Amino acid sequence: MLDSVQKQSKPFDKVYIIDDASPLKYKIHHDFVEHILLNENGGPARARNYGIEKAISTGAEYLLFTDHDCILDQEWNKQMTSFLMTTDFGAVGGMTYSWGKTLLDYYHDINGTLAGKWLLPDRKELWYMPSLNFGIKSFVVEQFGFDERFPTAAGEDVDLCLRMRSKYKIGFCPEAKLWHDYGYKNSISGFNKFMKLFKKYKSSSATVYEGHTVLMWDASESIYKGNIHESNIQS
Amino acid sequence: MSLIYSLKKTKKGVSHAVYDYIGEIRPFAKRVKNPLLLIPLVFLKTIEWSIYRWYKTPIRRFYGVKGNELIYMITNACNDRCPKCGIWEKPEPQSQHLMISHFINCLKKLHHNLYQVTLTGGEPLLFKKDVMLIAEEAKNLDVPMVIVSNARFLDEEFLNRYKALGHILVISVDSVEGEKWNEFRGRKNFDIVMPKIMLAKTILGDQLRIQSVLSKESAEEIPKVIEWCKQHGIQHNTQFYQDFGAYNWHNPTTNEEVRYDNDTPCAARKNICVYPNGDVVKCFDHRRIPLAKEPLGNIAKQDIIEILSTKRSTQISKIMKTCDFPCKNMSCNKPQTLLFN
Repeated sequence: MLDSVQKQSKPFDKVYIIDDASPLKYKIHHDFVEHILLNENGGPARARNYGIEKAISTGAEYLLFTDHDCILDQEWNKQMTSFLMTTDFGAVGGMTYSWGKTLLDYYHDINGTLAGKWLLPDRKELWYMPSLNFGIKSFVVEQFGFDERFPTAAGEDVDLCLRMRSKYKIGFCPEAKLWHDYGYKNSISGFNKFMKLFKKYKSSSATVYEGHTVLMWDASESIYKGNIHESNIQS
Repeated sequence: MSLIYSLKKTKKGVSHAVYDYIGEIRPFAKRVKNPLLLIPLVFLKTIEWSIYRWYKTPIRRFYGVKGNELIYMITNACNDRCPKCGIWEKPEPQSQHLMISHFINCLKKLHHNLYQVTLTGGEPLLFKKDVMLIAEEAKNLDVPMVIVSNARFLDEEFLNRYKALGHILVISVDSVEGEKWNEFRGRKNFDIVMPKIMLAKTILGDQLRIQSVLSKESAEEIPKVIEWCKQHGIQHNTQFYQDFGAYNWHNPTTNEEVRYDNDTPCAARKNICVYPNGDVVKCFDHRRIPLAKEPLGNIAKQDIIEILSTKRSTQISKIMKTCDFPCKNMSCNKPQTLLFN
């Protein structure tokens, strides 16, 4: 992931890696990264809020988020940042593809599991965008941070998007591509992981539902390769 | 696919599940270009669909139970002067009274998830025209409505229209004896109001309820009210006295004893309450929570969804989940269907 961060055509002003008290031992050999180790595991929402605080305190205007298991396209920062700079959208999502080549990875690609959702019927803005491929303006994230009640990487991004959409719109930038590694070695051994992934997402839905009973009714449609250009969102 | 499944009440049962499944699978299958992969990929999609549909789905959501009650204190003003209530002492100036269109908009925005809209006051029927507008809109939106009134301004025309809309009318009665009635109401109107209650019973039938406030002062009267309701076939509910700024009545027991329902989280977090000027709170007893001393927003100035989506609103909901103030035993914490015997 860090190699792809380093190879961006438009370099990042600042990169934070927030380690949420991971039990894994590793070393980071990239000196452009500020590595922050949290004392105790508090979930991705808390970790991201920590990063948000740090970035805002240094005067960042645009904040982009990705995860450790993602590989960025070299134009990713350029596309995301210029989208935020040139449009009125409060936040932006990019297009996420599977890194692996198993049947399960292919499934996620055509299912659009982590590529966000169009808000129907117009498909001119997003209903939600997953936080692994996500950009937001600083004045927006100051008002709508991540809810730290979400203990795992599931639902916290849906919650943020639903709250944020009450005031701002989320745009979609298909040119901002990244690849996500779901970690399947092959389709057979990865099946359990596949089940666990959706169970985790579903488990978070109760918390999301509780907070947004009035916002759940908008119709949405998953984004996949076949519908990424169905509308002219720049209009 | 929507992340959250919720059955619409018009589409319950197996047919809805089949309809939903086909609705998910058909567009997905069209994306599969290689026919050899069609079956395994549809199998995977079926697994995903099943998990989202069945895995850890709460019963109330599974059956499409709606989650919020919208409570509108339409006015502070009242034509009675009950010592139990201090609300009438501070009627809002005309200039601060919310335009009815703002509330109607709010109702339209929220109606998908409302199990009930309740009008209270003051005396709601001081604004009879507005009340009827809300009642008609609630009917159009298929939201059950409840009005809590002192019955003073009831008339045949209003009751007939209200009956046709199918909503519930709750009349506040703390005594059925003239002298006590007049004392409790601060007005000598027993002889005027009792015939109106009987008229309401005749016209509304089962759509009429009676509610009493149990306090030290009314303790001897409430059993008589209950008996009177039984005789007349009217459903009755008793709720504990709460100080709303009057402090003239007293709890029948100590506060500690009143908290009979300690195991149940405060249901008020599901409530969305609107004051006469449009201020929004999650509970009319919000002031007891330090973070909630100020209203969440005002529906005359902001969209209700925006108000409910603020960080403070979420935080207050979280606090209310475990707050244990005596107000959690009030009727606004429970749906009307659970209240009346």
